[in-house]
Amino acid sequence: MRKLFDIFIYSWVWISTLAVFSTVICLLWFLLSRGLPTFGKELFFGQASVWEAITGQVRVWDALWPACVGTLSLVFLAALMAVPLGISSGIYLACFAENPFKRILSLSVELLAGTPSIIMGLFGFALILFLRNTFFPDANTSLLLAASCLALLILPYLIFTTQAALESLTDEYRLIGPSLGLSQLQTIFHIFLPASGRGILGGVILSLGRAAEDTAVIMLTGVIANAGLPHGLFGKFEALPFRIFYLAAEYQTPAELNSAYGTALVLLCLTGLLYGGALALHKTLEWQWNQH
Amino acid sequence: MEPALTQPKPFCIIKNLHILFHGKPVLQDINLTLTDCGITVLVGASGSGKTTFLRALNRLNEYYPGYSASGQIELALSGTMENIYQTDLQVTELRRRVGMVFQSPNVLPVSIAQNINLPLKLVTGLDRKKREERLVEVLQEVHLWNEVKDRLKTKASHLSGGQQQRLCLARVLALQPKILLLDEPTASLDFKASGRIEELLLELQHRYRIIAVSHSLRQARRIAGQILVMKEGRIEHLLKKDQFENSEMLQQLLEEFL
Repeated sequence: MRKLFDIFIYSWVWISTLAVFSTVICLLWFLLSRGLPTFGKELFFGQASVWEAITGQVRVWDALWPACVGTLSLVFLAALMAVPLGISSGIYLACFAENPFKRILSLSVELLAGTPSIIMGLFGFALILFLRNTFFPDANTSLLLAASCLALLILPYLIFTTQAALESLTDEYRLIGPSLGLSQLQTIFHIFLPASGRGILGGVILSLGRAAEDTAVIMLTGVIANAGLPHGLFGKFEALPFRIFYLAAEYQTPAELNSAYGTALVLLCLTGLLYGGALALHKTLEWQWNQH
Repeated sequence: MEPALTQPKPFCIIKNLHILFHGKPVLQDINLTLTDCGITVLVGASGSGKTTFLRALNRLNEYYPGYSASGQIELALSGTMENIYQTDLQVTELRRRVGMVFQSPNVLPVSIAQNINLPLKLVTGLDRKKREERLVEVLQEVHLWNEVKDRLKTKASHLSGGQQQRLCLARVLALQPKILLLDEPTASLDFKASGRIEELLLELQHRYRIIAVSHSLRQARRIAGQILVMKEGRIEHLLKKDQFENSEMLQQLLEEFL
């Protein structure tokens, strides 16, 4: 009986893993088979010449380039706002906060994590309405607003992972700093943070991916289908996930639908690139920690 | 018995020390004067308060929640005795001068050199050249230099347990402490590595005042200049060398343990 149960558990675990793995493979294969044939200059730059498009001399129509730039700027801006804030809050929660305050704070972060992204978008939209009616009649949805709302969306991931990474350090490890006469801040920055780098990096990667793929937030806060390259912080912009949504919802020819798959593939690659960047950053920091 | 001509100087005077965690007493009514006569070894059953006693001396207990204490501890940190709870001595400075090595080696996940270098840089602010000199000095002091001099840049976690523990000791020595607290420093090591640490401690006792917790009476007997026996949060005996070399006394102690 016992043995039978063991076999059942063993095979169940195997089947589950296999199911996840094969789903991912199927998904990738599907995307590649539909999207890859559309890859080419046309997909990215349409009729415009590559150099002129990249330098912004000509407007690119019906192609991905503006959306790529839009998504990259969006993710960059959101990360710029959320990463320092999120990591600092995580440090506060793990190293300084005491109950009952800590419990209240953690609860509010959980609440934020549970907020659907469309609500974040609505919040940003309402903010603009408020600003228009009060201090800034000219306020409008824009890249900055969208990035701010995205920052709010990814903040909980960063806070949780930083907190979890710091709290998972062993007691013995925690005592190294104080026992050598390091101050609390020195201990946190030179002993704790480097050691939890991998965990924190995981949070950053997760949040970058989340910021890159979210559509609901940006739909209400400034993305439009044919904005061209982003016009500064207060301008409208295009973005890859929105382009996928738009193409898939309103395609008129099969070729247009296929270009949506191409776009999805680009988004996937872009996210992969961001992961790579984050990993390289982590490696550099780790290397630096080892220098005299 | 004739009193000795020159009384050994006390380096640790404890008066009415009580330590509680969440209102539960862990150390009770400790009154003690330790003088220079070799390594002081603490023995006692687990839960008798040995580690808490050790951590009282560098105020590391304060790191834990629910801590409260009363009483007074004076340590010889510079020329004179200083009350470690009351002087304007900063707690970080106290912990530098009262170094501590833990039960299992807790090296930082960086290179061998950086394990010594990083705290040294943060705590003393010495320049690079001085730090490098001190690195060599302390690695030689713990007899690790010859084993690691060609691979200072490799990860410290690649060293054996005994080597890691000696590295931890070197890390503490680099900060030039006056007193060394060792919390069962050989508990996680095999017989041979333990032996090397013991030899090392016997050497170091001439340069530093050492207080060590030990899990074995045999080890205590090998290295101790005096033995403190703890039971249920109190100091039961302070035995001098002539007392514990007598095997009858030791037998009694053993019985108390069991």
